[in-house]
Amino acid sequence: MADTENEKPFKVSVPDEDLEQLRQRLALARFPDELDEAEWEYGVPLADVRRLAARWADGFDWRSAEAAINALPQFTRDVAVDGFGTLNVHYVHQRSAVTEDAIPLLFVHGWPGHFLEVRKLLPLLTAGSAEQPSFHVVALSLPGFGFSEAPKKKGFAAKQYAEVANNLMINLGYTEYVVQGGDWGHYIAGYLATYYAHKHVKGWLSNYTNALPPKLWNAPLAYLTHLVTPYSAKEKAGWTRSQGFRLTGSGYSHEQATRPQTLGYSLADSPVGLLAWIYEKLVEWTDEYRWRDDEVLEWVSIYWFSRAGPGASVRIYKEMTQGFTRATTADVRWTSIPLGFAYFPKELNRVPRSWLSTLGRIVFESEHEHGGHFAAHEQPGELADDMRRMFGKGGPAFGVVAGKSGYAA
Amino acid sequence: MSNSTEQPFVLAVPDDDLALLRKKLDLVRFPDELDDAAWSYGVPLADMKRLVSHWVNGYDWRKSEAEINKLPMFTRDIDVHGFGTLNIHYVHQKSEVKNAIPLLFSHGWPGDFLEARKMLPLLTEKSPDHPSFHVVALSLPGFGFSEAPKKPGFAGRQYAEVFNKLMLSLGYNEYVYQGGDWGYILGLHAVTHYGHKHIKAWHTNVPSVGPPKLLSNPLVWLSSWLSSSNNSSQAKHGNARNWRTKGMGYFMEQATQPQTIGYSLTDSPVGLLAWIYEKLVTWTDGYPWTDDEVLEWISIYWFSRSCPAAAGRIYYELTGQNTHDTKAGTKWMSVPLGVSYFPGEIIPTIKAWSSMIGNIVFESEHDKGGHFAAFEQPEKLAGDLWKMYGKGGPAHGVVFGKNGYD
Repeated sequence: MADTENEKPFKVSVPDEDLEQLRQRLALARFPDELDEAEWEYGVPLADVRRLAARWADGFDWRSAEAAINALPQFTRDVAVDGFGTLNVHYVHQRSAVTEDAIPLLFVHGWPGHFLEVRKLLPLLTAGSAEQPSFHVVALSLPGFGFSEAPKKKGFAAKQYAEVANNLMINLGYTEYVVQGGDWGHYIAGYLATYYAHKHVKGWLSNYTNALPPKLWNAPLAYLTHLVTPYSAKEKAGWTRSQGFRLTGSGYSHEQATRPQTLGYSLADSPVGLLAWIYEKLVEWTDEYRWRDDEVLEWVSIYWFSRAGPGASVRIYKEMTQGFTRATTADVRWTSIPLGFAYFPKELNRVPRSWLSTLGRIVFESEHEHGGHFAAHEQPGELADDMRRMFGKGGPAFGVVAGKSGYAA
Repeated sequence: MSNSTEQPFVLAVPDDDLALLRKKLDLVRFPDELDDAAWSYGVPLADMKRLVSHWVNGYDWRKSEAEINKLPMFTRDIDVHGFGTLNIHYVHQKSEVKNAIPLLFSHGWPGDFLEARKMLPLLTEKSPDHPSFHVVALSLPGFGFSEAPKKPGFAGRQYAEVFNKLMLSLGYNEYVYQGGDWGYILGLHAVTHYGHKHIKAWHTNVPSVGPPKLLSNPLVWLSSWLSSSNNSSQAKHGNARNWRTKGMGYFMEQATQPQTIGYSLTDSPVGLLAWIYEKLVTWTDGYPWTDDEVLEWISIYWFSRSCPAAAGRIYYELTGQNTHDTKAGTKWMSVPLGVSYFPGEIIPTIKAWSSMIGNIVFESEHDKGGHFAAFEQPEKLAGDLWKMYGKGGPAHGVVFGKNGYD
């Protein structure tokens, strides 16, 4: 029973004036100096930023990118969130190519991600056969990101992100569904499970491995396991990588979690500043992914032309961590719905399995040889395959959504 | 022994630079803001809009510039081992008192050489009641109108070398030092290398010692700082707690990826304004900033010789990209040290620990003033220096033949 009245088809359509202003700003760009042979040691190299900025001003064809994005089935609808009125939410909604009984899947992006991270997954997940389950895919722009409205009031946090996503799925007629997410999508999926497990959320797969250590009082088995089980080689490698990230790669998160508004003035006003801020993550968080300049510029343009502006997106850090005072997973409750993890070697954060098991009943795990933080973008084939193996016939989460097995009857 | 490379310095921002700034301000794009956010998410939008509007319509940079040019300013080349020569900008205001005490003042971030401005008349004036100083206030390399280092690794030792060579080149073989913020940390480095031989005494308004290392959990350290044994006026004030719990973002970014944030700060005057103005307000003790004062301050960064991005690198270099404490490489020295405590100081200090910094000979506690003490409370800070170095004071006569009185 989809509520279709409220839904409007959506096409990205950046006004000419906005394009022109971007060009004017780029033409006035003032670049910093750089230390000799700095490369990536101090942040994004000057040569990269200059090259990208020059192409953004002249060479990158936004209208062409826009047209390609508009080939995706996009919509907006008003979604109610308790205490926040309604927010107009933008999303991609692509139905299965092969069956009505496809598994409804909600894909949740993070920061500095966006709804287009689902793009390469769409043809893979909506395809299907007798051997391969199919999905109906919904990928929203989180409130404050992409083309969704931003909340206007303080305190739009875990509960609210979960509520808006859940309400969206219900409004689309998907009263039961599964979730895939990384980065903030991992946390939001965890809260979707916390608040709506069984009733609506029937399973989730995360590609972001972060959780708090088990405590004796809340996860006794995991706690004891953690005490006696040595870390695997991959867990150790992941841990070292996590420490490195915390030490030298997390400055952005401190600022975003404490003074997002202050940072927001820079991100909203300087395309070069925004470009550097995001591009740093696109490179540092991926596994030697060969970014084309136009790919980077399209990505950053989504932020530059976003409905609420780039400053709005960073507030999620402050809201979800209560100003950097609370671990984001602190209020995620263990549920028994099937939970899967896709491990990618260049992910920024990796905690031991015993910690991850505090988030839910792990039924599926997949170790990959390549890929980083933006798994859906870097390794769509691998991630799609994980989804199929977890939720398909013979998989540990087969048939979790009643009447929507993923296969034609 | 003056160096012949000294040149008088006149600040003269090119018209083109002013025009570019104006064009950027005209194109400003503001972010949105949450209802009733006030300061809880960062600088309020209303403040920013007002400041930008004044920057465009009311603020007169040329007037500021003319006033700044009334200060006796110079540049000279200073050779730094391994880094070639850096052209250093400084104010050098001599007292009419021949035996005035040579004093080097160092600013920090987001400070600048003008922080010494209000103290200049107080420190250089002749009086039977207090000592006089010859004051040198430099722009740190990479800040204001000093050249920036071009290579990685310009850290404590190098700043100390610049300080000492500058003072020596001005004929001050022995001198005293005052600094806060990075001026404090660099003072530790300077005294470590040149204490006794050249630096005869020093003073800081940020006597911070002991934890925190950046690596440790700041909240754990904070709770020990807030424990019942510490009911100092600083602990009651709130600035320091706010800094540790919600004000370290800039530090972490600048210590790890200064180039990345540097693109924003160099390209967007509005971004730079917010980044710095936030500190001007949250680090001071009720200082009644005028918009002109704020804009002049930010303009020094905007029009700096290098670029705003260069200044942030000090965090990276002095912490080894967040791998060690800023005081690494310094040691406790018996050079006489004076400290002043201001309630609005952001960097937590514990009086009982201050003797771990150095040989405390003078202590002073104030009931008003914050991090930018020289700017906010020039009489109080100058008064402390008068007491410390004056007749009967604990550091009187430390510089041979220059006790501050004729």
